[in-house]
Amino acid sequence: MVELTLPKNSKVGTGKTHPKPDGATNTKAFNVYRWSPDDNQNPAIDKYYVDLDTCGPMILDGLIKIKNEIDPTLTFRRSCREGICGSCAMNINGTNTLACTTGMDEVEGDINIYPLPHQPVVKDLVPDLTNFYAQYASIKPWLQAETPSPSKERLQSKEDREKLDGLYECILCACCSTSCPSYWWNSDRFLGPAILLQAYRWIIDSRDEHTGERLDNLEDPFRLYRCHTIMNCANTCPKGLNPAKAIAEIKKMMVERR
Amino acid sequence: MGMRAPLKSVRGLGSAKEGTTHWWYQKVTAIALIPLFLIALGFFVSLVGAEYTHVRYVLGQPFISLVMLLLIGAMFYHLKLGLQVVIEDYIHTESTKVFLLLLNSFLCAVVGLASALAILKLALGG
Amino acid sequence: MSEAYPITEHKYDVVVVGAGGAGLRATMGMAAAGLKTAAVTKVFPTRSHTVAAQGGISASLGNMGEDNWQWHMYDTVKGSDWLGDQDAIEYMCREAPASVLELEQFGMPFSRTEEGKIYQRAFGGMTTQFGEGPAAQRTCAAADRTGHAMLHTLYSQSLKHDTEFFIEYFALDLIMDKDGACKGVLCLSLEDGTLHLFRAHMVVLATGGYGRTFFSCTSAHTCTGDGGGMVLRAGLPLQDMEFIQFHPTGIYGAGCLITEGVRGEGGFLVNGEGERFMERYAPHAKDLASRDVVSRSMTLEIREGRGVGSRKDHIYLHLDHLDPAMIDERLPGISESARIFSGVDVHKEPIPVLPTVHYNMGGIPTNYHAEVVDLKDGNPDAVVPGLMAVGEAACVSVHGANRLGSNSLIDLVVFGRAAALRAKDVVTPGAAHAPLPADACDEALARLDKFRNANGDSSTATIRDNMQRVMQDDCAVFRTSKTLAEGVEKINKVWEQMPDIKTTDRSLVWNSDLVETLELDNLIRQAVVSMTAAENRKESRGAHAHEDFPDRDDENWMKHTLTYHSDEGGVKLDYRPVHDYTLTDEIDYIKPKARVY
Repeated sequence: MVELTLPKNSKVGTGKTHPKPDGATNTKAFNVYRWSPDDNQNPAIDKYYVDLDTCGPMILDGLIKIKNEIDPTLTFRRSCREGICGSCAMNINGTNTLACTTGMDEVEGDINIYPLPHQPVVKDLVPDLTNFYAQYASIKPWLQAETPSPSKERLQSKEDREKLDGLYECILCACCSTSCPSYWWNSDRFLGPAILLQAYRWIIDSRDEHTGERLDNLEDPFRLYRCHTIMNCANTCPKGLNPAKAIAEIKKMMVERR
Repeated sequence: MGMRAPLKSVRGLGSAKEGTTHWWYQKVTAIALIPLFLIALGFFVSLVGAEYTHVRYVLGQPFISLVMLLLIGAMFYHLKLGLQVVIEDYIHTESTKVFLLLLNSFLCAVVGLASALAILKLALGG
Repeated sequence: MSEAYPITEHKYDVVVVGAGGAGLRATMGMAAAGLKTAAVTKVFPTRSHTVAAQGGISASLGNMGEDNWQWHMYDTVKGSDWLGDQDAIEYMCREAPASVLELEQFGMPFSRTEEGKIYQRAFGGMTTQFGEGPAAQRTCAAADRTGHAMLHTLYSQSLKHDTEFFIEYFALDLIMDKDGACKGVLCLSLEDGTLHLFRAHMVVLATGGYGRTFFSCTSAHTCTGDGGGMVLRAGLPLQDMEFIQFHPTGIYGAGCLITEGVRGEGGFLVNGEGERFMERYAPHAKDLASRDVVSRSMTLEIREGRGVGSRKDHIYLHLDHLDPAMIDERLPGISESARIFSGVDVHKEPIPVLPTVHYNMGGIPTNYHAEVVDLKDGNPDAVVPGLMAVGEAACVSVHGANRLGSNSLIDLVVFGRAAALRAKDVVTPGAAHAPLPADACDEALARLDKFRNANGDSSTATIRDNMQRVMQDDCAVFRTSKTLAEGVEKINKVWEQMPDIKTTDRSLVWNSDLVETLELDNLIRQAVVSMTAAENRKESRGAHAHEDFPDRDDENWMKHTLTYHSDEGGVKLDYRPVHDYTLTDEIDYIKPKARVY
């Protein structure tokens, strides 16, 4: 059966509360999921207070401030800090999003931070995305065409290029896939919204000649049809993309080609 | 992750190259069920408080029994398809899953056929 | 030492460190050439900083009007303030169109013209007719997400070629033999803290720039110049480290990039008096003058009290006069950034911007084959065996004293490819690896062990903050003898804090406290040599604007600065001549002249 409660060793306990910084009057509390494989302990929620008067506005700024000034052992991924690299995807007050583009003022009360749901945790807020990346590789995300390439570029009309908008911008942050209940229960076989959106990006590319093979590869009760149009993907995408629509388009093509 | 390459696990047994029929029929039956259910509902409301023999008589009328047969067919097929997905979604122990899938198919078939037989019996004047 | 830290050894023909644009292009080419190649990267490839490039990639395709590589070369030489090596610049500009077309063949989603060709926009410093004609539309773009589109395309190509990736492996040090040849690279796996020695006949450093030496920069947190740090520790020099580019339009406060493409599409800068001041500083090119010129002009405006905002400390970038549909089509990404980071609707309001550290022209000196070179026994072009560098980590030098916008992405792919072509010639696939002495990794391990157990009084974050503030204050857009002398003193003080550093995390699994400390060790060395090189250069050239020496001095300073660094001896300076020749006779050496836009 699907596990509807956390296994024993994953039950989250109460962790350490770090004192408020000296002299800070305008603080925000961060409740952060902590777990390290080193000490055989269950995960716990640590509480930190961030001085808003000396901190940048984004949640990532808060996390970095905690790491710099309060607890250097706090572990999370981050890189570009402008919402284009997809490193700092995490669950913030129940929503998967990027810490770098989410303002602290967007959250009322305490900020509760967990790693992306339903992925193995490496440490603290760092999930293991190996399966997600392997699924990406499995859809062959590159141009496949046999027609000999012209000496200059392959031509593409503006209209055809426009079809890639809303698809190619995906940053592979995995927010959508890890927000999808279907992906939670069946990520071993269901490709999930992010990868299906990427698949559609190549299916709809006017330069790609393997449309049929790509559809063949997706036509499967699990790979594609575990999508039950729950729409969490479209709600959560920090780049404002709509994977659910891409999946619907794939399903439409599946019927069309019969 | 174990010793297997992640891509090996992800590719698994390959694409089943099916699922579209299932998805399509689930949509088709869903759409069919809307008018069929409304007609049946109207018909049952009109029969509230009616005599047993009268109900038997009406159910035996060709149009009504046709609607009822279609409703039963669409409903139990839709039920079978839907429950199948639920079982596949949530049951991950292979033996339990296969058992429940079989049970689902049989039950939907048996109950559906039994309901259809009852209507047919009335329609064909048994 | 090696008993305490067991090392797993891997043997490859080539190992590429870094998986951004240059690293991925090199890896792909190496693998395609039949070389057994490993790509080692500290972040998942699509998280590399190439992903943040916006405006585009330059190539004289001529899709939007007449163009040729010679014009592109002239602009690049002029942009470099004649410090670029013209053989390398010729190579880059000549190979550029083929490299962009190759990306298109890989499936990169370029924006299109009405004829279905790759869309090209105007960019700073890009002209026609050897600077005499109107602005060139030479920068190939995928809306304003060109770097993202390019990086994802290159990553997918490396998947196609079944590249062997070692993801979230942090490179610690180069392993050099006693003759000065590179024999491999020692890495730390973040996932479990294990050590891995990658033996290779060729190590390619594609580790990016060191923008995080500054407090405010457009660079990602991961831009810590790890290759440069490793090279300095290996006793090799870095070149032209004083040349640090300030991008004119970083978002005020957040520092995030707003592409030059905004001005290429018709946007312009306005000061506190509502004046389009660039018309004064660059009557011909106006807002599309090269970046160093625009950044200096903005700084002058602010300094003279003509800034905007309550503290008159920034400038407005207007695009609210442009067609909203055009903005949505070609500049959607910066519209999003402006909304998130400064709360501005670009259709209605200007974006508050400030010159922000963006790019390092300097780096590991290489020739145009991407082979690392050193000044050895009087030979300024002595190749270091077994070592290559590409991308922002390298100094080929095609950008000289100032890089033109969109010349970075083309640098990545052209020289990534050049590295692969060269490796094919100089590396024999499957050749045996000579055994290493037992103590080959000892120094690197000692350094790791020192930081892992460091228990001083200053946290990594404190020392890093000290370094960033010194660089921000004293290595700025304008420099003077006084600020630079103070800067050298102050940055050396920060360097002296390093033995007093403290790490807190003692875990071996994903120890980001340790990684940030190792990164700081790379950053601080480069901060020290940058400041020293800047103090040393008594002229103004490109991005190095020295107020006490406001003119370019070709007689004394037409040369590359080399900086060596050692823990004991500090910085040692030397020079390499600028190549005053081209690659072929299809174009003559472009002689220095006054640089006006």
